[in-house]
Amino acid sequence: MTLLSRFRDLEPAAQHAYVSLMMAVIGRGLVAASQTDDETRRELAAFTPGMVIAMKVIPSGPSFALVLQPDGTLKLLPSFDGRATLAVVFKHLAHAFLVFSFQESTTRAFANDRLYIDGDISHSIRLVRCLNRMEALILPQAIAAKAVKRYPAIAASDKVRAGARIYGRLALNFVNGDRP
Amino acid sequence: MSRDFYEFFCPVKVIAGERALEHIPFELGLLGAARPMILTDKGVIAAGLLAHVQKALASSGVAIGAVFDEVPQDSSLATVRAAAARYREAGCDAILAVGGGSVIDTSKGVNILVSDAGDVAEGGGDLLRYAGAHHLKKPLRPLFVVPTTAGTGSEVTLVAIISDETRGVKVPFTSTFLMPNAAVLDPRMTQTLPAHLTAMTAMDAMTHAMEAYTCLAANPLSDAYATSAIQKISNHLLPVLDDLKSPLGRLELAQASTMAGIAFSNSMVGLVHALGHTLGSMTHLPHGVCMNLFLPYVLEYNLPVASDRIGELLLPLAGPDIYASTPKGRRGTETITQLRRLRDTLNARCKLPRTIQETGKLDRSALRTLAERALDDGPVAFNPREADLSDMIGIVERAWG
Ligand SMILES: [Fe+2]
Repeated sequence: MTLLSRFRDLEPAAQHAYVSLMMAVIGRGLVAASQTDDETRRELAAFTPGMVIAMKVIPSGPSFALVLQPDGTLKLLPSFDGRATLAVVFKHLAHAFLVFSFQESTTRAFANDRLYIDGDISHSIRLVRCLNRMEALILPQAIAAKAVKRYPAIAASDKVRAGARIYGRLALNFVNGDRP
Repeated sequence: MSRDFYEFFCPVKVIAGERALEHIPFELGLLGAARPMILTDKGVIAAGLLAHVQKALASSGVAIGAVFDEVPQDSSLATVRAAAARYREAGCDAILAVGGGSVIDTSKGVNILVSDAGDVAEGGGDLLRYAGAHHLKKPLRPLFVVPTTAGTGSEVTLVAIISDETRGVKVPFTSTFLMPNAAVLDPRMTQTLPAHLTAMTAMDAMTHAMEAYTCLAANPLSDAYATSAIQKISNHLLPVLDDLKSPLGRLELAQASTMAGIAFSNSMVGLVHALGHTLGSMTHLPHGVCMNLFLPYVLEYNLPVASDRIGELLLPLAGPDIYASTPKGRRGTETITQLRRLRDTLNARCKLPRTIQETGKLDRSALRTLAERALDDGPVAFNPREADLSDMIGIVERAWG
C-alpha cells in the first residue's frame, strides 16, 4: 500500500484529526489573507462587519468561525456556537476529509451534495473565491490545482510573496496561541 | 452522464392534462384538507383564469376559505405576512397557488408561516428565522400549485426567493419541505398567455433544461428530464404560437416547463442565470427575455470544456435527421446554430430581443458593471467553465450584439 492510498483511506479518528487540523489551517489562512492579500480584502469588502462566517461538519465535528471586523479583517471566534451569517456545512466527516485532502474540489463537493451552504447566495460565491484564492496562495500548485476549478493566474513572485506573508501570519497566529 | 455521486429528489405529484383542475378536490381530501386559501395576483384574475379553478372546486365538498390576490410582481416579506394573516383569519387548511413564479414563491413563504414551523408559540412567526438552507424540520401544510405560465418550474423546486423590502435584498429559503405537494398542469390555465409571454417563458424553461444538462451537477436522472423538456419545447413552441389555444400544445409546454424545473432543481443552473438575474435587476427586463439573450453566448463560452455535452443536445433540439447528419465534432456548434435560428424566428414572430442592444434597456457603458455583478450571483459556481471578470466581459460584449 502506498503512502497516498493509505492516506486516502484513513480511519475515522485519523480523518477527524486531519480535518480538525485543516479547519484550523483554513481558518487561520483566511484570517491571514484578510490581513495581507488585496484580492481577498476586495472580496470581503462586500460583506457587512459583524457577519460570522463558519465552516463545520455536522452534527458536531471540526469547525471554525470567523467574524468580519470593522477594519475589513477576519478574526477567529474560538468557541462560537450560534448561527453563522454564512455557513459551509459538510454532511459527513468523510466528505470534509475528501475535500481537505484535495480529492474533491469545493465546487465539486457542492455539486455532489457533500455539503450545503447556509446563507446569502452571493456571499457564498465570494467565500468560495476567497477559499480558492487562499488555497492557491498557501498550497503547492500541484495540490492547489486539484482543489480549485481553475488555478488563478497569480504571477510566481506575487504568489511567493503573498504566500510567504500568509505563512508568516499563520506561524505568528499559532505562536500567539490564537487557537480555534 | 456518469457521475461518482449524485442525489435526485422530486416528491411533487404531477397532475397533468385535460380537466386536471377537477382532480384538486380529491387530492386535497387525501391530505385531509377541505378549505384552501387561493393565492394569486390581479393578472390571473383579470385573465379570468380563477373562474376555472372556482368552477372545478364548486359542489365538490371543498370550500374556498379565502382568495388573496395581492401578490406583486416580486414577492415580498410583507406580502407573505399579509397572506398568512388572511389564511389564519379565514381558518384555511391548505394553500392553492394559482400564478407564475412570484405567486409560487410567495405561497412557499406563506406555508412556512401558517404551518407549525411558523407558530408564534414555538418562537416562530418570524419568516427570516427560516431563511437559508434546511432550517425547516417538519412538513408544512398541503400546498398545491397551478402554474399559469410555462417557464419558471417553481412548482417542483425547493427554493423560494422573497425580497426583504426594508433591507433591499432577496432572501433565499431552501428546504425540501417547501416543495409543493402537487403541481396541477391544466391547459386551460396557459391558453390565454399571449404569444410573446409564451415565447419568453418557454425560453426560460429551455434555459433551465440546457443549463441543467451542461452544468457541473448534471446527473443521469436530471439529464432525462432535461432532454425531454428540450424536445417538447422545440417540437411545440412554434406550433403553439400559430395556435395559442391548442390544448395539446399548451399541455406539452407546461409539462416541458415542469420537467425542466425538476432537472434544474436537482442539478442547478449556470452562467446564463447568473447574467440573467443581474441584467434583470439592472433593467427590470422579464427573466425569460434575459435567458433568451444570454443562452447561446454562454453555451459558446462553455463549448471548449463541454462540447460533447452541448453536442448531445442537438438530438432533442433539432431532431434525429440533423443530429445524424452532423459529424460528432461539429454537434456542439450546430446546437448553438439551431438555437440561434429558433431565436431569430421568435424575434421575427413576437419581437423577442436577441441581443442586449435590441432590448434598448441598457447603455453600453453599463456592460462592465453587468459583468462584475454577475460574478457574485450564485449559479456561477455550477457553470462547467470557470469565468473571471475578463471572461464575463467577453460574454456580455458578444451578447451586446
Ligand atoms: Fe430561470
